[in-house]
Amino acid sequence: MSRTLSSLSPAYRVVERGGSIVFTALILFSGASAAFGPAGGLVGVVLVGLALLALIAYEVAYFRRFEYDLGADTLDIRSGVISRRNREIPIRRVQNVDISRNVVQRFLGIAAVDFETAGGSETEASLRFVDFEEAKRLQREIGRLKRGVEGSEEGEPEPPADELFALTSRELALVGALSFDVRIPGLLFVLVSGSLPAVSSVVPTGSGTAIVALGLVAVALVVLLVSWVAGATAAVLNYYGFRLTQVEDELQYERGLLRRYDGSIPLDKVQTLTVVDDPLKRYFGFASLRIETAGYAPGSGESGSEAAVPLARRDRVFGLANRIESFGTPDFHRPPKRVRRRYAVRYLLALGALTVLLYGVEAVTAGALPWPPYAPVPLALLAPVAAHFKWRHRGYWLGERHFVTRNGFLRRRVKVVPYYRIQTVIDSRTIFQRRWNVATVTADTAGSLSLVGSDAAAVDVADADADDLRATLATRLRESLAARRGWTDAAAAEAPVPGDDNDDPVDGADDSEADDTNHGAA
Amino acid sequence: MNRLHPRVRVVWAVQAATTAVVVGLVVFAVSRFAIALPVWAPVAAFAVFLVAGVGLALLRYRVWRYEVRDDALYLERGVFTRVRTVVPFVRIQHVDSSRGPVERLVGLASTVVYTAGSRGADVMVPGLTPDGADDLRERLKRLAIRAEGEDAV
Repeated sequence: MSRTLSSLSPAYRVVERGGSIVFTALILFSGASAAFGPAGGLVGVVLVGLALLALIAYEVAYFRRFEYDLGADTLDIRSGVISRRNREIPIRRVQNVDISRNVVQRFLGIAAVDFETAGGSETEASLRFVDFEEAKRLQREIGRLKRGVEGSEEGEPEPPADELFALTSRELALVGALSFDVRIPGLLFVLVSGSLPAVSSVVPTGSGTAIVALGLVAVALVVLLVSWVAGATAAVLNYYGFRLTQVEDELQYERGLLRRYDGSIPLDKVQTLTVVDDPLKRYFGFASLRIETAGYAPGSGESGSEAAVPLARRDRVFGLANRIESFGTPDFHRPPKRVRRRYAVRYLLALGALTVLLYGVEAVTAGALPWPPYAPVPLALLAPVAAHFKWRHRGYWLGERHFVTRNGFLRRRVKVVPYYRIQTVIDSRTIFQRRWNVATVTADTAGSLSLVGSDAAAVDVADADADDLRATLATRLRESLAARRGWTDAAAAEAPVPGDDNDDPVDGADDSEADDTNHGAA
Repeated sequence: MNRLHPRVRVVWAVQAATTAVVVGLVVFAVSRFAIALPVWAPVAAFAVFLVAGVGLALLRYRVWRYEVRDDALYLERGVFTRVRTVVPFVRIQHVDSSRGPVERLVGLASTVVYTAGSRGADVMVPGLTPDGADDLRERLKRLAIRAEGEDAV
């Protein structure tokens, strides 16, 4: 049975798009009427009217020509006004179903639904817009169909929802308070201090250093406050009413104050788990958790479809992560101590380059810099300290079934990758790394957030360890995949989930864990 | 460990020469229409890029190795950053053999292996003979199917 979009959707889409048309037209034609007199303005109004009519006609046609149909095996979508497209998405391949509603949409009771599969660089299907109830039904139905439950959709009892995590209002306040982005004040500081000469020319010359210093402190405080308030507001808007529940083998989350997100993640599509913290969160014993699937297009990660626990006590985060992927307690191997010297040298070189650059700027602008060009030099004292911390927070661990890596001091990421999720193993050694006899071993997964170079990587491990690691990861991938797909005798005893596709290259196969297989041997 | 066909150096050198010509033309255009540069600047830019590109091509050939192992394809490459990639057969999504225009001129071909990974997504083995590329493709395909299918349902 084919269904259509919500009958409110054409009207909403016209208002959404028409607004911007009218706005740009106003700007364009106010210029035109200034040039051609009142006649020009009249022509402008007529043209905008025509454009709006065309838009309305298009949106109505779009609505009338849009049909979707959730069958037993596929989601079929027939759409398009000028060029038609029939798309069938196998339901087993759907990774995430995301529902989002902004304030107006919530008032109207409609929602946008996005379906993601592992392939492609964009969202595979989106419904703009359907009734919220219908959106929820689609999400439930797809989850149910993927579990392979037969029978009618009505009258069946809801599977029990197991609440994994809910953000209390106290925690939400903490999320806001701790969402202080250390990079913002730094950036603002550079910008503001760049404009200091302009400011100091306004201040009367005789007012003395004390007042200038006071002004500087005040500016610094304002900068801190602004960036803190901005971070806090964004975090609260994003994570208001965050709830993570487990329904059968699916995770569901909802969050957001103004724009409400509502998404589902099948547990067997989870690619990597990432625990993120920064010095502030570490000091107070907090951390956040991100769950990555292969579904999302690069760049859409931060836009809201990503599921994450924004903030919780460290042990709780690790408990939750362990519930999703039981990896145990990692015991990290740090890189060899000599790399600390490498980092210190690197920082010193960067500092040197900055100083040279400042001297260059000084020479070109003839002393317009607010500080002397050698100002960064004292920072050199910090280089060994920073190098030590960078080294301290780095490491990797080979668990029973997981590869865990840790990187970063200001923004520390602990990445957990099940061996059977590894796609390729990449060992790379830059010309500088070769001088220090170290290498970086990266376990590439299909998770697409990793595109920005935050793949699970054991950075700067010793040469010999890197060779071992490369071989070990490849072996364990094979063994754990074999165990998971029931190719070994030990796993063959466990019945695979009926009808599950064992040939799925991206998401592995069924979720029958072969606990008793001995693939921990190196 | 297999090395590439020596003639792959010609392919890379031609590619480097193309880049050098483009750079030379850009410098020429700049000196003609924007800033007055010395007359020899375009030629110098061309020469520098050509020499560097050909040098890199020669070095790259010396470093490149590949091997079809029992359960994975193993590649070693990179002049400045030495990269060793292990592509397990189970992870191969599909395999292409392809021939670019320059490759066709000198009678070579490449094999491209695709995985679902986010960055090692396309692993390319250049510098094969056309038959060699087809053989490698067939062999990888069979190995991928075998790895995937071992007694599987």
